[in-house]
Amino acid sequence: MNKTININLGGLFFHIDEVAFQKLKRYLDTIRRSLSDDPKGRDEIITDIELRISELLSEKIKDPRQVINEHDIDEVITIMGQPEDYVFEDEGYTEYTKTSSRSYQSYNSRKLFRDGDDKFVGGVASGVAHYFGIDAIWVRLLWLVLTFGAGFGFILYIILWILLPEAKTTAEKLQMEGEAVNINTIEKKIRDEFQDVSERAKRGFDEVSGKVKESFEDASNTVKESFKDSKKKVNKNQIKSGTQDFIDVIGKIIATLFTIVGKFVGILLIIVALSTLVGLTVGLFTAGTLDVFGFDWFWLEDANFMNTAGLPVWTVSLGVLLLVGIPFLMLFFLGMFILSSRTKSPGRVTWYVLLGLWLITIIALIVFGVKETANFAFDGYHTENQNINIVQVDTLRVKMIDNQDFSRADNLHNRNGYKRVMTDDNSDKLYSNAVRLDIRLSDTDSSFVKIRKEAEGINRIVAQENAKKIEYQYNLTDATLNFNGYFLTELGTRFRDQVLDVSLYVPEGKIIYIDDSTRSFLRHVENTNNTYDGDMPKHYYKMTLNGLDCLDCDTN
Amino acid sequence: MKIENTKAQMRKGVLEYCILTVLNNGDAYTSEILTQLKGAKMIVVEGTIYPLLTRLKNVGLLNYRWEESTSGPPRKYYALTENGKLFLKGLESTWNDLVAAVNLLTQNKNTKS
Repeated sequence: MNKTININLGGLFFHIDEVAFQKLKRYLDTIRRSLSDDPKGRDEIITDIELRISELLSEKIKDPRQVINEHDIDEVITIMGQPEDYVFEDEGYTEYTKTSSRSYQSYNSRKLFRDGDDKFVGGVASGVAHYFGIDAIWVRLLWLVLTFGAGFGFILYIILWILLPEAKTTAEKLQMEGEAVNINTIEKKIRDEFQDVSERAKRGFDEVSGKVKESFEDASNTVKESFKDSKKKVNKNQIKSGTQDFIDVIGKIIATLFTIVGKFVGILLIIVALSTLVGLTVGLFTAGTLDVFGFDWFWLEDANFMNTAGLPVWTVSLGVLLLVGIPFLMLFFLGMFILSSRTKSPGRVTWYVLLGLWLITIIALIVFGVKETANFAFDGYHTENQNINIVQVDTLRVKMIDNQDFSRADNLHNRNGYKRVMTDDNSDKLYSNAVRLDIRLSDTDSSFVKIRKEAEGINRIVAQENAKKIEYQYNLTDATLNFNGYFLTELGTRFRDQVLDVSLYVPEGKIIYIDDSTRSFLRHVENTNNTYDGDMPKHYYKMTLNGLDCLDCDTN
Repeated sequence: MKIENTKAQMRKGVLEYCILTVLNNGDAYTSEILTQLKGAKMIVVEGTIYPLLTRLKNVGLLNYRWEESTSGPPRKYYALTENGKLFLKGLESTWNDLVAAVNLLTQNKNTKS
């Protein structure tokens, strides 16, 4: 039983069965393609050919209800000739030799394409396999090794996937397989493909019907059954035709496993990529993308703080979105491809644009980074000595004090860099507790405090200026020296790695009590017992020529 | 080099001359031309003729007209133009020269061997 089709050929009406119709259509298409050198005359020639076929068929058909079958078409083709008979060499012999040498060349040079007909993911492996003339399974194994062994196989695959075009037309497929592109091979290829498709369809149908039967036979044990079944098949094949088949079967098992794992990976990729993309996008419009990753880069909250270029924070956010988002977008599509090979790629132009955007973002962020770093290129210092009068004082207490307005927690023990604060007179300042305290021997009879401000800048002068702008205070009340545990800088100066060193110089013989509040500020304070800075507070010391000498420590 | 290709090339070269000759005897539609050429064993399959006819028509050696047919599709009747007739005369003399030349050569060869 065959479906019939009504066609209009050369102005006449024919009933033709489906197989015959396909054959005739293929025949005409092949001729059309072989005449493509001359697009102007082609349509006319095809019309003439159709007219002639129509004439030949109408001679065969006596009854208008009769259906044309495959046999009739075969006869017509015998009369008309194979597609290559239609090619008329305009230039005679010279053209003939030229084409033959051209086809000889193209026989030797294969082109690298992706093979969409034989693929697990993108057809890259089979394309490469065609190029080197080996079986695709070896390339795939190599790919697995590279991915799980060395790690870059995956990236290489993605790159090749994007760069390599898929072999779509018959000519491309022939180039991919290294066969000469001429009418013979095109015809052959088309025939092969047609057979392939029908065979595959048949096989698929057989498989489905077999499965259905199987599940009817034993619905509860389907999984077990199919497992046994496949094992049986393996054994049979092994015995039947030896190692080659064995390798094939193993390859197929690996391939199946790979496909299953691949699907999982695909789902994972889609979930991960989608959630990241959604997160990034939401982040862009709300908190800034950096927050998505949990970075507490406080200075990015305000463009004035850091970034010399004065870029608003959203540009940096957008940059991060592109930088991270584009690879994840690729991952998303990769996941889609793994799940369904029918997913449509957004097209090569889109990929190129995305790739370009990504590279631009990287370059922009690098430039931004380099510019930023340049602002930290030079160190600058500013030192002030201030005498303090403590001659009358018997025992000097050294304390650090904190400003509760600026710090939420106990800032004397929680030393975490810089932040933006509002002072009492309503001006924004950069707050830092990068203060270091040292107690040293004064080489005169007087006591003094040395304040050394340090900052960085694009050159030495700027760095010095930045250092000078550090605002620091301390005071002496009664017998207590109160040092601020923090310093402030004008917001306009921005973060320049400002550090403050406070050194208290006292003459020999002076008694000092180091308060507990200084614990995290002390730096390499010279003392006779070689006590660590952190262990020094809460004791009385006497200044000697060798540093502080503890008066109430355990001698042990 | 395959002998089939060379044979086809030889035949194709002469084919134009043959078509023009057929049409010089009177207007004909495609099938008639084909019947005559096939009868003379000039061509084996019909396919070759279509691109050739179109080309001859396009360079102005032939023109055509449509005529209705009672038994089948409309027929394309080809006729020689004035140019075509001149062209044919040129080809005739070339052909005669060729035949004479080939005869001379092949006969020489035959006498030698």
